[in-house]
Amino acid sequence: MSSIDYTQELPVIEGRPTLKEINELIAKPLDQKPDKKFYIALSITLTMLLAGAIALGFTFYYGVGLWGNNNPVGWGFPIVNFVFWVGIGHAGTLISAILFLFRQKWRNGIARFAEGMTIFAVMTAGLFPLIHVGRPWLAGYLIPYPNQHSLWVDFNSPLLWDVFAVSTYFTVSFIFWYVGLIPDFASLRDRAVGKVKKTIYSIFSLGWRHSNRHWSHYEMVYLVLAGFATPLVLSVHTIVSFDFAVSILPGWHATIFPPYFVAGAVFSGFAMVQNVLIFIRKIFNYEHIITLDTLEKMNKIIILTGSMVGYAYAMEFFTAWYSGVQPEQFTFINRAFGPYAWAYWIMVSCNVIFPQLFWIRKIRRSIPVMFVIAVLVNVGMWFERFVITVTSLHRDFLPSSWAYFKPTVVDVAILIGSFGFFFTWILLFTKSLPVVSIAEIKAVNEGAQPSHGEH
Amino acid sequence: MAKSFDKSGTKFWKSLKDYYDDPEILKKKANEFNDGVTDDFDPGKLNGISRRKFIALLTASAAFTATSCTDYRDKGEIVPYNKRPEEILPGKPNYYASTCKGCELECGILIKTREGRPIKVDGNPEHPVSQGKICAKGQASILNLYDPDRLTEPVKGSMATTWKKADSEIIKLLKSAVDENGEIAIVSKIINSPSTLKAIEEFKTAYPTAKVYFYEYFGDDFKRKAWEKCYGTSALPSVKLNEADVILSLESDFLGREGNYIENARLYAERKDIMKGTDFNKLYVVEGGMSLTGMNADVRIRMKPEYQTEFLLSLINELVAGNHVPGAYRTGEILNTVGGFTLSGFAQKYSVDEKKLTELVKDLVDGKGKSIILAGNTMPEEVHVLSNLLNEMLGNTALYDYSSVHLKNTAPSSNEEMKQLVEKMSNGSVKVLIHFDSNPVYHLPKDLNYEENARKVPAVITLSEAPNETVSVSTYTLPLNNPLESWGDSIVRSNVITLQQPVIAPLFNTREKEAVLLTWASGDPEKYNFDIYHKFVQNNFKNGIYTKNKFAVDFDTFWYSALHDGFVEVNGEQSPPNFNISAVTGISPSVKEGISVHLQPNYYLGDGKFSNNGWLQEIPHPVTKVAWDNFAAMSLATAEKLGVTFNDVVKVSVNGSEVELPVMMQPGMADDLIVVEGGYGRKNSGEVAQDVGFNINTLIVTATASPFVLQAANVSKTGKTYKLVSTQEHNFLVDPSLREFHKIRKIIFEGTLEEYEKDPKFLKEEEKVLKGITREHEYPGLKWGMAIDLNKCISCGICVASCNVENNIPVVGKDQVEVGREMQWMRIDRYYSGEPEDPQVSNQPMLCQHCDNAPCENVCPVNATNHSPDGINQMVYNRCVGTRYCSNNCPYKVRRFNFFDFRDHFADAYYQNDITALAHNPEVTVRSRGVMEKCTFCIQRIMEAREDAIREGRELKGTDVQTACQQACPSNAIIFGDINDPDSEVSKYRNHDIGYHVLEELYVKPNITYMAKLRNTRSEDV
Repeated sequence: MSSIDYTQELPVIEGRPTLKEINELIAKPLDQKPDKKFYIALSITLTMLLAGAIALGFTFYYGVGLWGNNNPVGWGFPIVNFVFWVGIGHAGTLISAILFLFRQKWRNGIARFAEGMTIFAVMTAGLFPLIHVGRPWLAGYLIPYPNQHSLWVDFNSPLLWDVFAVSTYFTVSFIFWYVGLIPDFASLRDRAVGKVKKTIYSIFSLGWRHSNRHWSHYEMVYLVLAGFATPLVLSVHTIVSFDFAVSILPGWHATIFPPYFVAGAVFSGFAMVQNVLIFIRKIFNYEHIITLDTLEKMNKIIILTGSMVGYAYAMEFFTAWYSGVQPEQFTFINRAFGPYAWAYWIMVSCNVIFPQLFWIRKIRRSIPVMFVIAVLVNVGMWFERFVITVTSLHRDFLPSSWAYFKPTVVDVAILIGSFGFFFTWILLFTKSLPVVSIAEIKAVNEGAQPSHGEH
Repeated sequence: MAKSFDKSGTKFWKSLKDYYDDPEILKKKANEFNDGVTDDFDPGKLNGISRRKFIALLTASAAFTATSCTDYRDKGEIVPYNKRPEEILPGKPNYYASTCKGCELECGILIKTREGRPIKVDGNPEHPVSQGKICAKGQASILNLYDPDRLTEPVKGSMATTWKKADSEIIKLLKSAVDENGEIAIVSKIINSPSTLKAIEEFKTAYPTAKVYFYEYFGDDFKRKAWEKCYGTSALPSVKLNEADVILSLESDFLGREGNYIENARLYAERKDIMKGTDFNKLYVVEGGMSLTGMNADVRIRMKPEYQTEFLLSLINELVAGNHVPGAYRTGEILNTVGGFTLSGFAQKYSVDEKKLTELVKDLVDGKGKSIILAGNTMPEEVHVLSNLLNEMLGNTALYDYSSVHLKNTAPSSNEEMKQLVEKMSNGSVKVLIHFDSNPVYHLPKDLNYEENARKVPAVITLSEAPNETVSVSTYTLPLNNPLESWGDSIVRSNVITLQQPVIAPLFNTREKEAVLLTWASGDPEKYNFDIYHKFVQNNFKNGIYTKNKFAVDFDTFWYSALHDGFVEVNGEQSPPNFNISAVTGISPSVKEGISVHLQPNYYLGDGKFSNNGWLQEIPHPVTKVAWDNFAAMSLATAEKLGVTFNDVVKVSVNGSEVELPVMMQPGMADDLIVVEGGYGRKNSGEVAQDVGFNINTLIVTATASPFVLQAANVSKTGKTYKLVSTQEHNFLVDPSLREFHKIRKIIFEGTLEEYEKDPKFLKEEEKVLKGITREHEYPGLKWGMAIDLNKCISCGICVASCNVENNIPVVGKDQVEVGREMQWMRIDRYYSGEPEDPQVSNQPMLCQHCDNAPCENVCPVNATNHSPDGINQMVYNRCVGTRYCSNNCPYKVRRFNFFDFRDHFADAYYQNDITALAHNPEVTVRSRGVMEKCTFCIQRIMEAREDAIREGRELKGTDVQTACQQACPSNAIIFGDINDPDSEVSKYRNHDIGYHVLEELYVKPNITYMAKLRNTRSEDV
């Protein structure tokens, strides 16, 4: 502790690697043929994906009756999964855009990967609204397009806002990600030896020549896009939370939902980024780029957002009590002590209790421990969505229509499939694009920027 | 260009004329196109196929091919009529009056047919007894007609045969039986049709050795025997229930399954009508199990069924001792019988709430001449005798109506006769055994060993509409017409004779059962024609009713008007008989220790005839809400004593036979009692009924006083479990904290009549004005709304059955009910309050509330559910993508989602066939998979009424439309109409002091008004 010199900025990148070293290190996975481990990993994710695909095939053939959904519980696993994956997709843009605007240099090492994860998570999330409907072949009705029926979508419905919010978020994130990739494509092009590779990189680098003009335009565009993306980070999950908050169902109808959902999303997003990066930095030897300090900073955000989520849980109880509305009060008592109490307490312990361990510096800096805690955070966050969706629905206003929701094998297979889908993309991403931004790393390398420090 | 050249200059020619440059050819070459081809295209002018016409035809046929491609919605072809059949106007229903043959009540019905196929059965509104109402079985009986499991061909052994061949072989058998002087035994259920009886007589004339045996399953035999003992006749008078101030039911489920319960419900509810004032009747129910009538009781006393005799003796003694009865009843005979029994002693002995008994005595005394005591059909003779005495003593006979007497044309054969039959079957003296539309193997007491002995009879002929247990012991199985395909008549009430007419030609190679007998009686298979029984009924009618009553018109006119009306009213007045006091001599209670088993008929399956009807299997039990099973209902204390809980299987052994049953813990039951319902556990019965529930008929034996109350049963835990499915959770029992939710949440409003009389606004202590924050939608003109009077509603579930039929509701099966996916648009919610030992029951029909601020509407992303200008929450199936958000946001959870294509899903697509599809109401879309649906206020009926109004150039009125549930409600508890019209009936309910909306404070502004239930109880026992 005593060795920290607070007058000195800590280097983001350790060991002061040369520019060439950075280039080579980051491009290395792209230059090499995939090894055995990669294929093993890929075959696992593809198997998971296949399980989901088969389950989905059955669902399309027989109907959503194969799931556990029933009459009071109209939304089950698919909506839980949707909200979960959209949540995962939150960290990326937060890291790349908001932290960029806040000039958080440490985000440079993780931004690219986090953004990629965002895109894949949103892609995964995007599947669920489509498959969860009763007649997926008519899902196009959700898009406002001129038609001979003169029928327009219902702009009152939060589900429609969802369609816009998620698709906008995806588009902007994708563009932001691609723009950030352009200088790296150029670097890769410059060092590529194979003709095919060179052509591909040339096309994607859009004629980038590392010129001063290019850089100055690039910085401006990147800044503008970051500005664009920032409100989206907040809006997407706000709108997803409207799916619940706009309804009249006790347990859903709550004004606290937008901030609560955004905090939860950042919470789970960071946990997921942290989880995957622990592998990436180890496998690709990026320990000095994605440093322990960076991971620690992420853990700090996890503890912050986790506490916000915990506050929200408590506040929900308070609101219910203060409202004086019996169905509202009962919903929360039922959550904590009803048939789904097990889910509620999994949620509370994973989201509120375990992350508090990050107050301890040692734990914050211990890779195995932080990994486990982050895994638990994601388990907890999945259960949070389950608790919100299912426990509110299963016992609503009329006791006569109450029923217990039990997921089926198909539900679980689709959940597994979504993880397969997500991680398949992640794996392909690690072998086809630089998972760390070459250009941005160079910019935060020690001595890359003029400083008033000792030379 | 006179000539064609190729590059080398060679001239090409097609014909010699061409070669010689014939002018004709030159002309043709100059004019590239034929005349007319380049003119404006007019297919009429063209003869032969031109290029343009060819292309036009090609395009058209391609278009036709493309459009005629079938998709999943397309099943088969639609072919218009070439020639319009008589009386059929496509799109317009025809109605025919007939008689329901679903049970022995034989109600008058009105059958709706569309394009020649029956699609809905309702009560005949003009029928003096039915008055437009019919039970759930009658409503759903349409599905029996279109049941794919029906027998379709005559069968010998296991080989299909022809009618002619079967008939001639059977006639030979019958003749040789007569020659050998062997008995021809006919086993039939009770027959109320004079023509059927006459046909049997004719058969007996042709084959003198024929003998008929009648039986009934859960009939009113004890009641009639007691009546005979008391009054010397078995004809029971009907009861003017609407004039009764106090009704005391002793195990009598007169609102649910006993007597003409449809009529009873109407008469009972007439005295629960707040619109007519506060002159409510008071219903006491003394029972062991919880019955439908028990749920409606103002005061309910729980007591084991075998205590009834002692209870009545004590009650009579109390009245005699208190000098409350005329001197004639204080004679030695009665004193001898009842002496020594006191109510307080009784209350102590069996721990019955004495306060309730005192109240009962007071009410009976106060209500002398205006009260009625009804004893249940399953009660032994002595209970009926005593309740007859009680009615006599209290002067309640004034309520007996002898102008419309319950007749029974045939009495069931006695146990001795049945035993003799079986013995004769066993020793070979029965040569031919004919099952005349009966199922004795399933129904008859097990100690008769009927099945085993039937196999010993050389020729067993079973006439049946559908496969059953008896078919499996038969040599010949002959398929019968459904009642909707048959002629017939019936007399069940002395003042009405009803006629039955076919409304569709037989769907299969089937015959009327009487026609079969008549053919055999004629001795010649060639004598059969499809009209044979029609003519027979007509003749019988002519020689019987027509001649006897001396009608002033000629027979044809009389016949056709009778057929049109479906019934003929005659004077059926009978003189009141005198009570024979000596009937009560020697009655003494016989009570054994231990657990008793009370067997009862099922509400919806009848004697098992309707077990193969998916709609009826799926209507939840009115009390327990269990569907697709029967069960051993027992009190919580009994379950605890046995160490069992829900879904545990117990073995019940009594009288040497045993049956395993799953446990259903039922609040409000007497302890040490198990109540089980029959009609389940069918074998060889068709796909739907097969092995659904448990066959309890094995417990019925001939030996006991009442075969339905079995004392000293041995009940033990088996350790097995069996999943019962119900449409409501059993939270009430599991978690006491949930018990009063329906009251706290303002779902059910209740009070007592006394409170209401003191202050009619007592339910609305604080007048709250709810205000919306948005601009409210205006509904000028007509606006639909409904009122449901919870005082009148008896929760019988007939509305559910009617809605099912009207709106093409699919059957989903037990597995889907288990996961809460039943599709019924209407349901009857049942709530208990108070202690589980002796709860109060509140029922509430729940359906789409058609809210003005419908929460389902604004959350639908595709506008598939929206509001009509006349206030209906509409559902656009075509637009629905199935997000289920609407259902989530519906506080009443009345929306139903098609999780599967349910027609395809249930029992290997059992109902997905050409035959069952005929049962669909063509005015209502058959919903496919993935679509949300719910009550539409019978929009198809509204549209029809609107079309009529437009055609007739008048305004549509609220009274022009009746919803299916309203039409079917036997107690007229549902009122539908225009709520914008201040004079309409529904408006009066809506603005009534006890009218309320469920979950009013959500401000969704529902359009269904419920009338708070007012219990007729005294304040001291509240």
